[in-house]
Amino acid sequence: MYKVFAFLKRNTALLSHDEYRAGHVGFHCCNSRRLKNLRGYLVNIWANEDLRAKLGDQYDAISFNEPEAFTDYWDGFPEVYFDDRESWTRAGTPEPTRATEDGLSIDEDWTFDDVRFLFDPVESVSDESTAGEFHSHHLHMEEHLFVPVSRPEHKITKVIQFFRRAPTLSTDAFQAKMLEDYAAIASQLPGLLGYVVNFQDENMDAAIEGYYPADSWRFSEAGRAHRAEFSNLFDGATEMHFESIEDFIKAMNSPEHQQLTQLERSLFDALWYVEVDENLIVIPNRDPAPGFYFR
Amino acid sequence: MLKVFGFVTRNPSLTHDEYRAGHVGYHNSFGRRLNNIRGYLLNVRSNTHLNDTFGEQVVDQLTRGEPIDFDEQWDGWGQLMFDSKEHYIAGRTPARDRADANGLQDDEMAGRVGGDFDYLYAGSPFQFHVDEHVAKPVIRPERKLFKLAQFVKRTADLEPDLFRAYWTGRYATLISQLPGLTGLVFNLRTSLDVMTEFFPADAEGFTSQGIERRNHFYSSWDGIIEYWLDDPAMFIDERQSGQHSQTITEMEANLFDRVFYREVDETVAVLPNRNLAPDFYHR
Repeated sequence: MYKVFAFLKRNTALLSHDEYRAGHVGFHCCNSRRLKNLRGYLVNIWANEDLRAKLGDQYDAISFNEPEAFTDYWDGFPEVYFDDRESWTRAGTPEPTRATEDGLSIDEDWTFDDVRFLFDPVESVSDESTAGEFHSHHLHMEEHLFVPVSRPEHKITKVIQFFRRAPTLSTDAFQAKMLEDYAAIASQLPGLLGYVVNFQDENMDAAIEGYYPADSWRFSEAGRAHRAEFSNLFDGATEMHFESIEDFIKAMNSPEHQQLTQLERSLFDALWYVEVDENLIVIPNRDPAPGFYFR
Repeated sequence: MLKVFGFVTRNPSLTHDEYRAGHVGYHNSFGRRLNNIRGYLLNVRSNTHLNDTFGEQVVDQLTRGEPIDFDEQWDGWGQLMFDSKEHYIAGRTPARDRADANGLQDDEMAGRVGGDFDYLYAGSPFQFHVDEHVAKPVIRPERKLFKLAQFVKRTADLEPDLFRAYWTGRYATLISQLPGLTGLVFNLRTSLDVMTEFFPADAEGFTSQGIERRNHFYSSWDGIIEYWLDDPAMFIDERQSGQHSQTITEMEANLFDRVFYREVDETVAVLPNRNLAPDFYHR
């Protein structure tokens, strides 16, 4: 599947973190869950209490070289799934999904006008070419499914492990070691309800070329610099699902994790964790799409 | 939790698949924003008849007293979950979930569920409360599960309380042991009024014709069992000829005057959260 992470910072002049939650998961997703050919859609929002507060000193034992104020860069990141890149770039094509007096029609009120109020706006410049634009970090992610996610009917704990490749390793060598050595063990951690490794596409523009217009601020020199600063912070992110934060802590104290510690120092230049609250907008369907409208 | 089902018939201007798109697309997008909603599923009647999936002979063996006009009375049913009836009724008030130039604002379209009722449905939904028994908690993988709905009508000479006890007792235990199941939930329709205040007073459902239509639908069944099947073939083989199949069939003969099945396509508009709600907006 074609998978995109989109890291987004809220409009801090208008919204608190919890207000952003409501605006994103509520109104915004009301529109975005109707993107054409959408196959899965989750919205991850960083938890109100961070892992350092929950884990204490243990947090420093499992992480190193975490970028300063990492969660100041974003409040949430949706992950969307499509069958292929073409489906993703054409996702904004309106479809008839609204019953009206004329039968099934295209919803004339379908709108993404809220983005300039919901997300961090790009400051106006003299030619006003940035009007309505917002900062975003859309990243194409290459996923590797080790433990398929199974969701019970209650909120489970989701922890994102961010990692940056050690400069001594080539990308290919790093990814091979990550999958064959590290993830093979990590996916055996006790209590896992899901374990998915995602490598960031080295082409920072992969997810936005053809999705945003070529004259978007994102493709300007300033836009590229802004996006590069963020995307260079990590090379990938692993989604880890547990029943509870206590189960995550148990996993970090398990013999399996002890095996990983030495590997981590050789594989990674930086490694850190963020707990997120996952909102399930469209449960991913990894089987072929049925022959009718389905979410 | 308060669990409410709403069976709907599509507006005659729509085909079944157009109804799907309208319900799953536009309508569910607003419905998932109802204030304090704790779970929201939509089940749309499958385009594939069970005879084509399991074979006519198998379906006939498992079926008794199916109403001839059953499928003319519904295209899908929504399932809403709230912590309380007060929350359920208040779900129809504006939601504070829309960002604009003044910050987060109320949006009345959420409480109106998009305001498409008259064009999506024919008449009011048949909306009722169910007394739920979770025999096997549902676990959803990241793919479309086969969901089966079993409609049952209590035998006339069995007291309702005894029916509930037997149905959710040994019968549920035996069924829950069948292979291929990833979830099993029993739902018994109750008489609790969940239409007043939720629908406007002039809704079709409150007219004599609407009441008659609804009662006719209710007359053919008392309860619904939801089956989530990872492996429907394994399940149906065991149900038909497995170790407990004869016992289950005999129990059904004593418990049910009618029993019949439908496959439905489930949309998870809001994944049910049976734990306490977090103290922030979450779906």
